[in-house]
Amino acid sequence: MRAASAAVLALLLLPFAVGDFWAYQLGLLYLYAIAALGIGLCWGRTGFLPLGQGTFFGLAAYLSGLALIELDGSAWLIVLLPLAACASGLLAFLIGVLVFRRRGESGPYFSMITLALSLLAYQVANNWESVTGGFNGLKGIPGLPGLDSYTAAYEVAAVALAVSAFGIAWLYRAPLGVLWAALAHNERRVVLFGFDGNRLKAVAFGVSGLLAGIGGALYAPQQGLVTPQLCGFGLSADLVIWAAVGGRFRLLGPVLGAVLIGALTSGLRDRFQFWEIGIAIVFIAVVLLFPQGLIGIFAPLERRLGRRPAPAAGIAAPARRDPGGAAKLLVEGVHVRVGEVTILDGLSLALERPGIYCVIGPNGAGKTSTFNMLSGELAAQAGRVSFDGRPLARLATHRIVRLGIGRKFQIPSVFPALSIADNVAIALWSARATRLDLLRPRLRRWTSPVFEALVARYPFLADAGRTAAELSHGERQILELSMALLGEPRLLLLDEPCAGLSPQETAQVIAVIRWASERRGATVVVIEHDMSLVRELADHVFVLHNGSLLAEGTVSEIQGNVAVKAIYVGAEK
Amino acid sequence: MEPVLVAQALNALYGIASLAILALGLAVVLGLLGVLNLAHGELVMIGAYCAYVVQAQGWPYLYAVPLALVVCGVLGYVVERWLVRPLYQRPFDTLVVTWGLSLLLRKCAEAMFGLGYKSLTEPIGGTVEVLGATYPRYRLMLIVVSVLVLGALVLWYGRSRTGTRIKAMAGNPELARALGIPVRRYASATFVVGTCLAGLAGVMIAPLAPVQPFMGLDHILMSFFVLVVGGLGSVGGLLTGSAVIGGSNSIVSALSDGTGGYFCVLLLAIVFLWLRPRGIHARS
Repeated sequence: MRAASAAVLALLLLPFAVGDFWAYQLGLLYLYAIAALGIGLCWGRTGFLPLGQGTFFGLAAYLSGLALIELDGSAWLIVLLPLAACASGLLAFLIGVLVFRRRGESGPYFSMITLALSLLAYQVANNWESVTGGFNGLKGIPGLPGLDSYTAAYEVAAVALAVSAFGIAWLYRAPLGVLWAALAHNERRVVLFGFDGNRLKAVAFGVSGLLAGIGGALYAPQQGLVTPQLCGFGLSADLVIWAAVGGRFRLLGPVLGAVLIGALTSGLRDRFQFWEIGIAIVFIAVVLLFPQGLIGIFAPLERRLGRRPAPAAGIAAPARRDPGGAAKLLVEGVHVRVGEVTILDGLSLALERPGIYCVIGPNGAGKTSTFNMLSGELAAQAGRVSFDGRPLARLATHRIVRLGIGRKFQIPSVFPALSIADNVAIALWSARATRLDLLRPRLRRWTSPVFEALVARYPFLADAGRTAAELSHGERQILELSMALLGEPRLLLLDEPCAGLSPQETAQVIAVIRWASERRGATVVVIEHDMSLVRELADHVFVLHNGSLLAEGTVSEIQGNVAVKAIYVGAEK
Repeated sequence: MEPVLVAQALNALYGIASLAILALGLAVVLGLLGVLNLAHGELVMIGAYCAYVVQAQGWPYLYAVPLALVVCGVLGYVVERWLVRPLYQRPFDTLVVTWGLSLLLRKCAEAMFGLGYKSLTEPIGGTVEVLGATYPRYRLMLIVVSVLVLGALVLWYGRSRTGTRIKAMAGNPELARALGIPVRRYASATFVVGTCLAGLAGVMIAPLAPVQPFMGLDHILMSFFVLVVGGLGSVGGLLTGSAVIGGSNSIVSALSDGTGGYFCVLLLAIVFLWLRPRGIHARS
């Protein structure tokens, strides 16, 4: 905190050291840096790349310019300029909602649509002459009342940059920032913890639009001129280059890139004919070879200086926001077809009492597909599924999860780049954190009786210093199982929880599953191939074959079943 | 038939054919290699500048074809070898790198030819009479050449051994390598074919569009939207996408203005993203 205050003080005093010319230059670059922060947020943090951020910078600049021209000196400007920035944020959020509505479209599609948007914005600004002034832009925009001098304009930009950076730092420490980072690594897993991944991405894009808007709203009074170029491709591209070269994965990387590359460019562009070609080459090299960017140079220094925060006392997490009680799952005649392939063919199951249910069946029987269908990832063409009497059809995955259905994959899919503590925290927030909660950094200290019981069994779960990537395969399996349990779902779907584990680890996992079922009253469904495990675990067994239920009953009933023997060993009927 | 109708039909055909030939290279590279080459538009731009150089030198226009193929082919080889190949496992980074490449190529064109528009004269002037309608000869030829290029590519891909091997590579590179198919060489060749097609498209459209460093931006976006709407993997999809995108763009542009047409295309792309994320003719 002391270092941050010193940095801000130095930032504010800088113009007295460098003089008017550089105060003016830096003031402009700080505004670009604010917008570049947003690129870092989207690209470095959340994993999708907006290529048209100029749209939002330009929109706010035009709105702010128009407000300043119409209402020069009026007190209303205190309200209107922030509103101009918010308009950009809102537009970005809405576009995010539209584009991210379908799952899995955050890659190239998003980038291309934002690129197209910036070209569209340029055309609108260029052609709508009566409002925007056309190609020549809005001219003669008055400065902020009373803040006309170069130094004052610099200070306004510096304060805006500092406030924006602190705001983003806050978000990164809050659950929202952790979830953004988790989204970049494994979106599906985030959704299966009951978070609306698409909405979280739209919020990230909205915040980045707001940042661009802050830059734009202050650009108009600072420069006195707003032209269509601001909306178009050029500034959008520069922002991406600065964020990448400065270092997109760190909060301040994009700021460093914008200020350093921006200053060098304004100084050297006219002196070297091939300056911009050089910048493009540097950008390609950074993406290919040095993704950490310039700020990565300071990483070793930071590691040496950085102290680990002392572990803070835990805060008891609130109870889950669902009714509780035993889960009742009813699957009736479900058909699932993907293309030409029938995956589930009239599957019917009923789970009415708590206990451990095992699902067995040959490869391709539809076991994992049944789980995918239950969690809403695989749409059923016919049939009915209800949970506690409530139909699940057409319900989004994250909503199904919030009803109390938890899941563990066959291949452990924790968030490797996040610390073990953050992995655990995401599971604890599942179906507990309200929207507002996601802005509170103290949620990272949440703990629950289940967590404490799990830590007693597996002390490594309380290790805040390591990332999940540093765990062994067995530990990852246990971490993911623990994460599935921490959400305290009433129906827990486990896909081969013991795959690849040693006999000792297997015994531990079985003990935990039993504990979850007996002590917590959860209904557990386990897909398992290993019959010795099934014998040990199952209260009830479902045998799936060719996408429908072949047989069910206790282990001994199943072992005596002729039809089951036939599919496993090919016995004569 | 009414001559006006014939002319309109030919115009529509021209719009579809030119858009399809512009999108073809992008479709080849995206469909077979899974690489969205954002520098595709700039390769079209380079093809167009090749045509400009040839015409400025006073050489026969057809010389532009080998020139563009060589320039874009060499460029495609270099780009695949050193920029794209290290990133086949990281599709998102290929997007970013080819985007950086598009900047680089644009700046290079700016440094060599300046920012201004270059306009070329049509190498084959005059008009022909088609079913009573007079139609520019060059545009008619462009339709014919587009059909020939598309047809030849489809025939070769569908019938030849190499085509089958490339299909194997696209379907499962690991397995194809295990079967002894030189996956790296085929990937490189496929990329080069894609860039050459972009260059060829550039030569073809150069006389009909203003040639300038930023022309690629429009082409890559339109081509991409064609693929979003039409889906990857079939000529039918490519043509349908071209018809939908080109048609709605020109109709709305005629009713309002260019901005309206552009807005309409963008909206259409977003709607398709929701409803048919794999396009009209999706490969199952």
